[in-house]
Amino acid sequence: MTSTALDAAAARYLADATLGNPIRDMNPLILLGCIAATAAIGVAAPGWIIPLAAGAVFVLVGFLGGKGRSYLMTFLKLWAGVGLILFVLRALLTRGGRVLVPLGPISVTTAGIDAGLRFATVVMAICAAATLFFALVPMRHLMLALEHIGVSPRVSYVLLASFQSIADLGATARVVLDAQKARGIETEGSPLVRVRAFFPVLAPVFLSAMSATEERAIALDARAFNREGAHTSLVRLRRTRPWEWGALTLLVLAAVAAVIGGVLGWF
Amino acid sequence: MVLATLRDVRFTYAYSERPALDGLSLEWEEGKVHGVVGLNASGKSTLCALVRGIIPHFHEGELTGQVQILGKDLQDWDPAELSTAIGCVFDNPFTQISGIRETVFEEIALGLENLGVPRDEIIERVRRVVEQLGIERLVDKNPNGLSGGQRQKVAFASIIAMDADVVVIDEPTSQLDPESSEEVFEIIHGLKDRGKSIVLVEHKIDLLAAYADTVTVMHGGRAAMSGPTREVLGSAELRSYGVRPPEVAELAGLLQEDGRGIGIMPMTRDEAAHAVASRIEEVSRAH
Amino acid sequence: MPIELRGAGFAYPDGTVAVGSVDLRIEDGERVAIVGQNGAGKTTTVKMMNGLLRPTAGEVLVDGVRTADRTTAETARVVGYVFQNPDDQLFASDVRSEIEYLPRYLKWPEHKREERIARAVDLAGIQDHLDTNPKDLPTAVRKFVAIAAILVSDCRYVILDEPTAGLDSNGLDQLTRMLDRLQAEGVSVVTITHDMRFVVDTFSRVVAMADGGVIADGPRDVVFCDDDVLRRSRIRRLETAQLAKDLGLSDDAVTVDDVVRVIP
Repeated sequence: MTSTALDAAAARYLADATLGNPIRDMNPLILLGCIAATAAIGVAAPGWIIPLAAGAVFVLVGFLGGKGRSYLMTFLKLWAGVGLILFVLRALLTRGGRVLVPLGPISVTTAGIDAGLRFATVVMAICAAATLFFALVPMRHLMLALEHIGVSPRVSYVLLASFQSIADLGATARVVLDAQKARGIETEGSPLVRVRAFFPVLAPVFLSAMSATEERAIALDARAFNREGAHTSLVRLRRTRPWEWGALTLLVLAAVAAVIGGVLGWF
Repeated sequence: MVLATLRDVRFTYAYSERPALDGLSLEWEEGKVHGVVGLNASGKSTLCALVRGIIPHFHEGELTGQVQILGKDLQDWDPAELSTAIGCVFDNPFTQISGIRETVFEEIALGLENLGVPRDEIIERVRRVVEQLGIERLVDKNPNGLSGGQRQKVAFASIIAMDADVVVIDEPTSQLDPESSEEVFEIIHGLKDRGKSIVLVEHKIDLLAAYADTVTVMHGGRAAMSGPTREVLGSAELRSYGVRPPEVAELAGLLQEDGRGIGIMPMTRDEAAHAVASRIEEVSRAH
Repeated sequence: MPIELRGAGFAYPDGTVAVGSVDLRIEDGERVAIVGQNGAGKTTTVKMMNGLLRPTAGEVLVDGVRTADRTTAETARVVGYVFQNPDDQLFASDVRSEIEYLPRYLKWPEHKREERIARAVDLAGIQDHLDTNPKDLPTAVRKFVAIAAILVSDCRYVILDEPTAGLDSNGLDQLTRMLDRLQAEGVSVVTITHDMRFVVDTFSRVVAMADGGVIADGPRDVVFCDDDVLRRSRIRRLETAQLAKDLGLSDDAVTVDDVVRVIP
């Protein structure tokens, strides 16, 4: 009855890795290039409309990649948490232009609004690019792509393990929190109660992370991790499609043009 | 060939004052299942670490005496080579998982990838151990979210898949139910049939009695007893090292004390059943 | 007052049912072993007993109060639960502070604190390790430290999850002595274990679980003779009892002594 799960898994690994979406199945490094080039266009072009448009493009790509809803939420949270503050600070602190709202020494001026919009949209374009990439690409696929171009499996292991340990800490914290509750230590309720419960949780989380490190190292060694020579990979990334190269080429050309244009003052 | 020869081995961990191994001598042949029993802290896990080369390559400390693994001095082995020649599963199932793989299937494949096994063969070999251990339902699960028993099976599967000629296993069934424990022992038996050598630390003495060829009783850092399973586990000396005899041997002992001895020191239920059956026959014939 | 599970079930948010519907009553001073295959729902069931999991169906009452109406910590002061993995539970830098933590947290007067600590240390047999960092102790001893950290409380019920994993014969003896003393004090102990010899030697009431439900609950001598229950919960008779059955000597022998008696 259960061998179907095994058959399905075996068949899945036998085929090229797919996340069931053409954008997410792009070669991670090419996708990275495309996103970086789009962000570069936003940064190199003057004013705030193009960087804002770059952000909009990222949201669109997020939806095309099937991660639209969660990515849009991240994107809006970024704007609400970081973008708005950057905008307000810049807008208030920049002088010049027509005064719109006089506020004593720090007035809101047209130049301030312009500068604020520019600064906030540019920073947001960069943040949105980074978050989009990690929303679309599993770390494992990125590491595989890096290994393909010659990055050592050790480096990719360290990166993967660091990401995993963050997730692990969360999971361990929940388990330990339960253990404290099971001992009669109150962890629910007022902030004071939570603070009192904090230390008993924190200590075992770090202790177990530390003691696990050595045993993990030995466990990995037992998996031939330290063996010299070529490694293979169970997961095979799909071959890069010509359109991916095309998209990358176009975007990089556009980005180069935008940068050169910016330097030569075309805009 | 000889799997391991230890002569008067002493080892003290760098952080400790008391030696963990203290005059340990033993010899293990290849192609057999070698059971190791004894109280906690009697040196069982240290012995495993030594045979697998984790001592002295990973754990620091003072090592004296002679240790030969597969005919070569332990100090002369290249650590990476030894780690692939001898597979090893440790007792804490919570740290035997790599932590970087998102599915059990990929977790089991990790060692094979590092060995450079071609993809098609990796998939075939993972399939085989998954079926052997009956963990089909786990293949798509995240290894980091498994229970202790499930992790123990996955860790075991990951090492078995690598197909090393020697496997050192420290308490592979501590978190498993009776049926799963027996399955693990069946697999170990299958490995032996394929010519592998196994070193097995295990508290479940009934299973060990049925499957091990030799048993070594560790006590205070040395091998208090070491030899063929029946000789060791049937010995009256056994209890003085804190090891309980197998239940069937206990039964034979009790019958013997009562003047109703069954003539042999059984190690398996089958052996005991035969002996008891022939005794019953004798008794009924005498009537 | 007992622990009562009335049609108690638990399903995870994703809909996976861990325990269907369990009726179980643990009386004061009782000693109960819960057995069954990995994944049968044993841990989920005991976590419902001390409020770590709140039932998603039915109800669990401790001393007549629904666990859903209290915080976990409140329930846990009556029903202590020792985790399977001691590392998930221990946090102090030495054993003494570990055990003192709860008494200090609850601000007990000194004489009560000293008395409870001395009792817990003695019950768990960890006198020699009070100044050691739990991290540096072998797993078996860490397990006893975790037990002591629970026993120091005033709980009248103690749940042990796989206490025998990795224990040697000395550890088993210590555990058995502890169970006997707790019983004499009127403290109930519920134990999850895979070690059938430990069950047969130490428990008179056995609850067998399979597929998220209780399939048998009764005296050891009854549960261990019910072939259907044994098969469904994937547990085994002890070796010699099985031998007696195979030879047609006895269907209801359970211990080695039972078997000695039936052999002519």
